[in-house]
Amino acid sequence: MTDDKTTHFGFEQVGWDEKARRVGAVFDSVAHKYDIMNDVMSLGIHRLWKRIAIELSGVRTGQRVLDLAGGTGDLAARLARMAGPEGEVVLADINASMLQVGRARLLDQGIAGNVRFVQANAERLPFPDNHFDCITIAFGLRNVTDKDAALASMYRVLKPGGRLLILEFSKPRAPGLAPLYDFYSFKILPLMGKLIANDPASYQYLAESIRMHPDQDRLRAMLEQVGFEDCSYHNLSGGIVALHRGFKY
Amino acid sequence: MPGPAPAWVAGAVETACNTAFALDPEVRARLGALTGKVIALELLGLGLRLYLFPHAQGVQVLGHYEGEPDTELRGAPLSLLRLGLSDRPADELFAGGVELRGDTATGQAFQDILRALRIDWEELLARITGDDIAHQAGRATRAAREQAHRMGDTLALDLSEYLHEEAGVLVTRPEIESFLDAVDGLRSDADRLAARLRRLEVALAVRR
Repeated sequence: MTDDKTTHFGFEQVGWDEKARRVGAVFDSVAHKYDIMNDVMSLGIHRLWKRIAIELSGVRTGQRVLDLAGGTGDLAARLARMAGPEGEVVLADINASMLQVGRARLLDQGIAGNVRFVQANAERLPFPDNHFDCITIAFGLRNVTDKDAALASMYRVLKPGGRLLILEFSKPRAPGLAPLYDFYSFKILPLMGKLIANDPASYQYLAESIRMHPDQDRLRAMLEQVGFEDCSYHNLSGGIVALHRGFKY
Repeated sequence: MPGPAPAWVAGAVETACNTAFALDPEVRARLGALTGKVIALELLGLGLRLYLFPHAQGVQVLGHYEGEPDTELRGAPLSLLRLGLSDRPADELFAGGVELRGDTATGQAFQDILRALRIDWEELLARITGDDIAHQAGRATRAAREQAHRMGDTLALDLSEYLHEEAGVLVTRPEIESFLDAVDGLRSDADRLAARLRRLEVALAVRR
């Protein structure tokens, strides 16, 4: 029975169904200041992390790409230019507020025609089998309640030969980085959330959810379990963020 | 074979290009016409390879691309710069400084864009200092440029006068023309004399 199952919401244990609702509330709350906060929190480095993900996506003109949990459209904008007028990018997010911000942002940048917007749950993707050449999910997987179901769903909609890229916070590996990083995420981050977005609780959730997310090797094992092959990861900024990549053959 | 440029280099090049393109709407419109094309730039010597994706707001630059670019420009950074700036870009191509591969129409269009790029420095400055100061600075720069131009012209005239008339190091054009006429006249006279001598030699040989 799914009703009895519990999962984590940050460091709290909550009901399986409640997590989706509470994550939704967090993103409704941060949507309009999401990018400013990202810039402040990561000192602008999130742009570099996303750029590296884009370069490893291997997207070529004419391909079909799914940007899952695409939120404010950072990745989708770049992918749309790489896919070109003959290609297609689907920007999907479970959260309507984030999707609205993303759509407005892309239109303001003059990106239209080869981008579609879909409100979708990553665990049950509303697309046919073998449909996309590439799937990206940046800083979204840790907010998904049932990660295994989401990975399996991504595997299903990916074409044979296609690849999945997951950009997500991970476990710092560089020596001496972990204590500094802990201090930053639990003391400074909620404070910045309070000062900039006036929403310390949401940013505390972000910091806690990062800790609860599977580390590099566990996430790679999860990818392999649902069928992805040639799985690998790159640690970025000493492992604060990891970029996982898996292929479907 | 140059490797892919690091992500931060691609990012810096992209920001620099787009700052320049932002000031020139005409160039942006031309870039928009190249949407969907991929241009590879290989900077020899630096060992860098960049991929440019033009769009109506500027270019997206990547250091790594797995597809086949439509056009490939290879050359040393200075040669590529000359290709962009020169009024006769074909010279740079034929001189072997820059190699163009693939779809030449795209390469040509991109090169035209670089040449058409006229950065409005006044506008750029106005963003930092406000219109008044930028306008004053623009006027001062233009006045200084005109003054420099006038000074340059005057200097060239003075120098030529000094070399011809006072130092006597160089001759004037009429002098050299009359000298060359005289040389031509002398050569003709010498030829005529040689012909007359040959006739005399022939006449003497017959008489013997």
